[in-house]
Formats: sequence, C-alpha cells, structure tokens
Amino acid sequence: MLEVIIVDDDQIVVFIQKKMISNHEIASNPICFNNADVALNYLNDQQQLQNKKEFLIFLDINMPGMNGWDFLNCLESNEEKSHYHVVMVTSSINKEDKEEAKKYSMVRLFIEKPIHSSDCEKIKEIPEISHFFERV
Amino acid sequence: MVEKSGELKVLVIEDNPGDFILIEDYLAEEHAALKLHRAENFKKAKEILHTSRNFDTVLLDLSLPDIKNTETLVKEILALANGAPVVVLTGYTNKDYGMKTLSWGVSDYLLKDEINASNLSKSIHYSMERKKVQRQLYASEEKYRTLFDSSPLPKWVLDRRTLEFLDVNQAAINLYGYSREEFMEMSVRDLWVDDEDTLEQTVEDNLHDFFSIRVKHYTKSRKLLFIDVQSNPIIFGGREARVTLAHNVTEKLKAEEKLKHSQQRFKALVQDGSDVISILDENFNYTYISPSARNILGVNPEKLEGSNAFKYIHNEDRPYIEDKIKFIGKVKSFQLPSYRYRNGEGEWRWLETIISDLRDDPSVNGLVATSRDITSFKIQEKELRESLGRYDIVAKATSDLITDYNIENDTFQFSNAIYDIFGYSPEELGTSRKWWEERLHPEDYERVIKETKEIFSNQKKLLNIEYRFKCADGNYKYILDRSYVISDAEGKPSRIIGSVQDITERRKYINAIERSNERLREIAWTQSHVVRAPLARIMGLIDLLKNQRNNLDNIEEIIDNILNSSEELDKVIRKITNKTEEDF
Repeated sequence: MLEVIIVDDDQIVVFIQKKMISNHEIASNPICFNNADVALNYLNDQQQLQNKKEFLIFLDINMPGMNGWDFLNCLESNEEKSHYHVVMVTSSINKEDKEEAKKYSMVRLFIEKPIHSSDCEKIKEIPEISHFFERV
Repeated sequence: MVEKSGELKVLVIEDNPGDFILIEDYLAEEHAALKLHRAENFKKAKEILHTSRNFDTVLLDLSLPDIKNTETLVKEILALANGAPVVVLTGYTNKDYGMKTLSWGVSDYLLKDEINASNLSKSIHYSMERKKVQRQLYASEEKYRTLFDSSPLPKWVLDRRTLEFLDVNQAAINLYGYSREEFMEMSVRDLWVDDEDTLEQTVEDNLHDFFSIRVKHYTKSRKLLFIDVQSNPIIFGGREARVTLAHNVTEKLKAEEKLKHSQQRFKALVQDGSDVISILDENFNYTYISPSARNILGVNPEKLEGSNAFKYIHNEDRPYIEDKIKFIGKVKSFQLPSYRYRNGEGEWRWLETIISDLRDDPSVNGLVATSRDITSFKIQEKELRESLGRYDIVAKATSDLITDYNIENDTFQFSNAIYDIFGYSPEELGTSRKWWEERLHPEDYERVIKETKEIFSNQKKLLNIEYRFKCADGNYKYILDRSYVISDAEGKPSRIIGSVQDITERRKYINAIERSNERLREIAWTQSHVVRAPLARIMGLIDLLKNQRNNLDNIEEIIDNILNSSEELDKVIRKITNKTEEDF
C-alpha cells in the first residue's frame, strides 16, 4: 500500500497539492504536515508498526525549522529508505537546488511549483511506484 | 858574416903550416881587416867552433890527421858552423870528394893547387852572399809557414785541378775535426754539402784567378757550417795550386738571422699593432709615427711627420692635456686623460695615450706616445651610463618597489619605494631573505615560500605572485610581486630583480566586488524562494480555478487566497528593492 504525504509550511500550497493529488487519483486523502520534523516523527512511528507501507512524499525545500534538505538527510540514514519515494516540490527555479536534489537516491522527481496536471501524470509513471496506479 | 867594421873573421882548418901561410897571405892581399884563426886538426876546430860562433867563413882542408871520414868531418863542421859558409880546400887527388861535399851542404870547394888571392876571396864572398840569400829565403819561408800554420783562420792548399788537399793549417783541423793525415787523403769536395754544380763551375771559371764564394760545408761530425771562401791561385812545390782562406760565418749568420727575426717582430708589433706609437719632440711635433696609424687613424704617417700633434686634438680637450704635460721632465711616464683626435676622415676618435720621456735615449731622442683608439669603449660607456640613468629614473618614476636580490650574498637592495609603500626607513630596513620572509602574512607564507623555492631550484625564471606583506606599522598590504631571475655564466641563478606593486587598493576593491557578488547570490536565492513562493501559489490557485472548477467547494476562499498571495508578493518585492538600495 502506498501512502501519500505532503510536507509544506504553506497552507495554500498544501490545499492546491491536496486537490491535484485527489483529482488525479494519486491518493484520495493525503496526509499533510506543516513542518518537517512532525512528518519525520510520523514516518518513524509508521515504521514501528511494521505494516510494510511505502510512502510517496511531496517535500518542500524552504521551510522554517527543519527544511527539506534536513529532512532528506535524516531519512537517508533510514534502513528502509527504499520505501520512501520523494518528489521535491519547490518554488525555487534555482538550478543549484535541482543539482543538489540529484544527490539523494530517494528523490524520484523534481517539480517546480505550482504543481501541474502533467506533473501528476509523471508521478504515476515513476517506475518504483507505477504499479500502485495500474488500473485493474 | 861581414861585420860592420868590415872585418873578416875566418877559421882556417889546415894541418899543413905552409898551406896556412899561403892562405893567410892570399887573404891579407884582399882584406885589410882580417882576423884569422887556425885549427890544426879536427879536434881543435871543434873546440874553436864551440867557443866562438861568429865566423864569417870556415875554410876546411879535407885531409886532417885526426879524422879519416871526410863525410863525418864535413857534416860535423857544417853543423858547428852556425850558418857560416864552409869552403872546402882539397888537393887534386881528392877532387871527387870535393865535388861530393857540395851535396852535403858546403858552399864551395877549391883545389889547393889552383888557389890564388883573387879566386879565394871571390869564393869566400860568393859563399857568404849565397848563404845570406839562403838565410833570407829560409826566414821568409819560415814566416810564411808561421802565417799559414798559426793563423786563427782556417786555411788550406789545394791542387788547382783535382782540388785535393796539399796542405792544411791547424785552425782548419780544429774547425773540421779531420786530422792532417785524413785531410791529405781528401779533396775539398768531401766537405761540400750541396750546390756542387755551382761550386765546380766557379772553380773552373776561375782556374787561374782569385774568387770568393759562400759555401756550405760539413765537418767530420756532420755539423753544418757556413763558410766564406777566398781562394788564390799559387804555385806550391812546383804544382799549380790554390790557397784558400775559409772564414767560418755560421755564428755570424745565426746572429744575423736572429737580429732579422727580432727586427721583423718589432716591425710587426709597431706596424700591425692596435697601438699607434709616435715620437714627438719637446714642442709636440711628430718626428716619427708608426705605420699602424694608417689603419687606426686613417692618416699617412709620413705626411704627419713634422706637424704639431695639438693640431689634431679637440679644442675642448687641449687644456686637460696641457695641464698634464707640465709634468714632463719630472716623471718618466704618465697617462694623458682620454681626448678626441681628428682622424684622416675628419672624424673625432677617442684616444688614450701614455707618454714616455725618452729624450735621454739617443736612439729615440724624444717623447714616445703610445695611443689606443678607445672610441667604441667610450660609446659603450656612454650607453651604459644612459641605461643606468634610465634605470634610476624608472625606479624613481614608478610607484613600484624595485628589488634586487643577490642570491650568493643574500642581500636585498630596495628602491626608495620601500618607504613609500611599507613605511620602512633605512634604519628599520633589513637586507636578508629571512627579513623579507618574516614579513609575509602567515596565511600566504607557505604558498610564497613554495613558489620562490622553485626559483632557487632553477625551475622557474619568472615569478608572478600576490601576497600580503607586513608594513612598518604592523598592517599588511597586498602586493603583486613580479620577479625575474638573472643567471650567471654557468646558468646558475645569481640575482632576482623584482618589481613589487602595491595592490592593496585594487585588492580592497576586488574584495568589495566579491562581497557584493555574495549579496547578489543571496538576492537570487531570495528571488527563487521567497518571491516565487506567493507567485507559485497564485499560479496554482488560478490553475485550480481554471481546470478543477467543478471539484471546488469554496471558490470564494480561493479568490481570497489569490488576493492575499498577490499582496504578499508585492510586499516581498518592495522589501527586496529597499534592501538593494541599502547595500549599494
């Protein structure tokens, strides 16, 4: 089972992404976090339950407190990191951020805000998770 | 021999008293002053001749009682007569003996029966005259022999045609090393070295004449001799011969050759040397100029003779020379200050001259001036001075510090800019490499030392490096050090010439630019994150409105959010503008 998580401090962004994700049938009700460390705690708790869930994480970079990079660094050391599929969603059009993101194996896609319908289609085609979206 | 007084002293050896009286009578008839001695026998005769040796004539009777052998008698008496003529008196029966005695050396013989006053006297006088002539001849022959034998000049006598040696003197024996006996077996041809044809021809052409010629001879030990030969035809012992005087000129020729060489050498030195040598009289008129003047000064040496040397010296230089030549007579030799001299083409040449006072030397009798053209040297000197001057001016004109580091001595020389740039006064200034290195900024130290090391290990010729250097007041200045290595003849680095530029101002400016670049990067980041965040929101909301309108519950709320985001965007942009204005 694939659980979808949105990590972004901006409520409006979370609202837009939630709408897009459900409208494109990626997830009907994604879990949203306004800051990264809460999201991290949630993921750790989920791991404790050992329910073999995989997570598709929509991650913002620029956040107060723990930012997107810090979040990725923490997750990177996780032994079950193959269960985490990260889509970086940022307002930055900076090339450096894009290059930086490539260093993390969990990052499957890099999307510039605002998220588009075409982006949602691309997410469904990510090889590691595409099987979750196959129509029966 | 006849005495001056005219007295005739005669010894009569006669045993016969009658015969003696007869002889005495005959002689008395012809001679007023007569001193007659009588010996009655051979023994007595010998006694008389031993004690008194100055008889003019000896009259000898061959029949004496105490001796039978006439030959012994005659020869003994001749030997004792001391050159006086001996006239033999004989009886008729002994006529043959009388004849024989002539061959033994008696002067005359008279038969007793035929003797009279006149023929006895005549015989005595003839004998005496003959003896006198004989003696003279002998004396002259003796003289000739002495001249020939003891002459210090080698001489010999040759057969005129065969050129065989007939006689040779001691000097010739000494010179050639052959013994007399060896010479007598040789001909003069055996001495010849070469040119035989010429010599044969000369001998043939002058067979009966005097000739002189220079020939080459070998001694017995094959030593080469040069001989001046003078040869005269003579009759020698009845043969046609020639007497030759051999003058050994070998040493003389060698000496001449040596002299010729030394003269040639001297000539070469004077003629082709790089110096002009001239002799001047006391008024500085030329009496001699070496031929080298033609090459060096382009003048005709002979034409210059007699003219005054000052005529050719530059007006401006004359006083200095006149000042110097005052010392003539006080010092033997002195150098003139360099001066300009007008050469044959009318150009000025710089000369350097040494004057030697040789007025006392009769072979010179004047002042000897040895001059050398130093024009090219003068030009070089001038160029060097100008170039040094230029260097000084450049060093002064530039605000750069010029450093000159002598690697071997470990000493720096700095231009005055060391004070202008770093504030080091001459008292505070060190000169060693250590002093320089101690003033490098700690953060730059390693890098500078590493790069300069490459210079000393001969890997780099040029150093171009920026670093900080400590000023006298303890602050650091940024400098650009451009140094060039000068190598000695063996290619070993010997000096490092450096130009040190104060780039503190430039560095500060660059630092300021770097800082503002940093800020610009910050602004760019802000733009991509802070500015774009509300914009991305607006775009996302509008996209929802456009494409998902049917799925939206609260359109009013979305429009409010668009408005809020727009206002936020506006705020962010104003903030950036204000911040930018602040910084610049």
